[in-house]
Amino acid sequence: MRTGLYGLVAEFERHEDLLKAAREACRAGYRRMDAFAPFPVQGLPEALGRKRSRMPALFLAGGILGGTGAYFMEWYANVVSYPLNIGGRPFHSWPSFIPITFELTVLGAALAGFFSCLALNGLPRLHHPIFGVPGFERASVDRFFLCIETADPKFHPVGTRRFLETLHPFRIAEAQA
Amino acid sequence: MTGNVVRSRLDGVQTSALIAGGAGVALCIFGALADTRQFFISYLFGYLFWLGLALGCLVLLMIHHLTGGRWGFPLRRFFEAAIMTLPLMALLFLPLFFGLRELYPWSRPEVVAASALLRQRHFYMNGPAFVMRAAVFFALLVWTARTLNKWSFLQDDTADPAPTRRLRTLSGPGIALYPFLATFAYVDWILSLETDWYSTMFVVLIIIGQILTALAFCIVLLAWLRSEEPYSRVVTTTNFHHLGSLLLAFVMMWAYMAFGQLLIIWSGNLPAEISWYLHRIAGGWKWVISLIAIFHFFLPFFLLLSRDIKRRVAALATVAAVIFFAHLADVFWLISPSFYRTGFSIHWMDAAAPAAVGGLWIAAFSARLKSRPLLVSNDPRQKDLPPDEH
Repeated sequence: MRTGLYGLVAEFERHEDLLKAAREACRAGYRRMDAFAPFPVQGLPEALGRKRSRMPALFLAGGILGGTGAYFMEWYANVVSYPLNIGGRPFHSWPSFIPITFELTVLGAALAGFFSCLALNGLPRLHHPIFGVPGFERASVDRFFLCIETADPKFHPVGTRRFLETLHPFRIAEAQA
Repeated sequence: MTGNVVRSRLDGVQTSALIAGGAGVALCIFGALADTRQFFISYLFGYLFWLGLALGCLVLLMIHHLTGGRWGFPLRRFFEAAIMTLPLMALLFLPLFFGLRELYPWSRPEVVAASALLRQRHFYMNGPAFVMRAAVFFALLVWTARTLNKWSFLQDDTADPAPTRRLRTLSGPGIALYPFLATFAYVDWILSLETDWYSTMFVVLIIIGQILTALAFCIVLLAWLRSEEPYSRVVTTTNFHHLGSLLLAFVMMWAYMAFGQLLIIWSGNLPAEISWYLHRIAGGWKWVISLIAIFHFFLPFFLLLSRDIKRRVAALATVAAVIFFAHLADVFWLISPSFYRTGFSIHWMDAAAPAAVGGLWIAAFSARLKSRPLLVSNDPRQKDLPPDEH
């Protein structure tokens, strides 16, 4: 396990301050950072400089895969593998294939979304350095946190701390990896 | 008074609509003398398309009174102006009373005499009963429309929550009452065009199509007026994003209903039911329904999945316009094949009749819209909305 500093964490009392701090940090060139708040703060992802989420594209890919897979499966089963005369209809009867195609489109999209959400969030994991920050449990009650990670190319143990001080946080803490 | 640019634009729309409507009416009168049967077929199609637009607005308005939400506030006056065309639409329904014999098999004595089914149905499906059901339908909906308008304008002038509460109290039962009334109406007006056919899903499909068209129409109109006062103060890109998502939901719901009905009837494959579809895929009709499938569902569905298209107002308005015209084709496809069962047929009156009704409808709509404040005020739920990002 790695040891040492994971990042510097500034704690704020109001969500407006967190939003302002995130904008300032982004303007100062920091990118490897994260914010923590008890409720979704509108505009926070953009303030952190986050690009558009990749989730919609992954959902779409899962849906297309599920839908085409389902239609192919039904076509293969009914036309190639085991042709069966049902009510004198053609083997390739598309209306009867649509419900399954629809269901598996939804299933494919949902599974792709669920698993890529876990993967992109780095889950499952048992511990995160941010939990070691004193008082961090209040991130789910009434406090707002901004963490700048050491992994950021612009990170400097002294310079970054000074920068965070200019944002007038409630306090600054170190997150140990 | 704000909104002078909007009002002068609506003046222009009203004038052109009156000219188009007048020309359409003149052509229809000429057509009715030349080919009476074709006139009634075309008129039924053109009339029901525009009536559907007004009724879709009625449903959307009642939904918005019940749910609130930022998506509906800029559109409220569009909905209210649209439902105030219902008295005009009731008047325009009158010509159809003279065409029952041309349109409906149950109103031709020789057909009824030859069909055991129609003889049994005669106590319900006959001229006076048809007229009475239409009268009840329009009386109740015109009353609802006028009341919703009256209370909404009372709401503008008072901080008292009473009009808001009354609007909600009427919208709840109203939204339940409408599908009930529409079931009787559309069974008479469209479903009974063919003797044997019935479908319990049909009226739901009609209602969803109306809502979809109404939403598409309002999106196009809002996109056209968005950069003028007073809309420029309140309408944001996010607003269009939400409307685009709502449009996508109704596109999917329409496709779900349309395909659901087809799947059930196709699976059953019973002569009385499937014949309706056989008339509608005969000859050139199958190309019409193919185009409807593309432009009423597939194209809008895939385009509206994209966040960028929903946020680009011109693109969203284009998709909405495509849906609007695809629905015009859809109403045509629901009605005309009952009379041309062997293949595609279109008559010049199929353009003149929607133009006549549509011209009068748009003129009445614009006149109403510009005569009142263009935005609602004093809706208590408007104040509690969180600030919107642009």
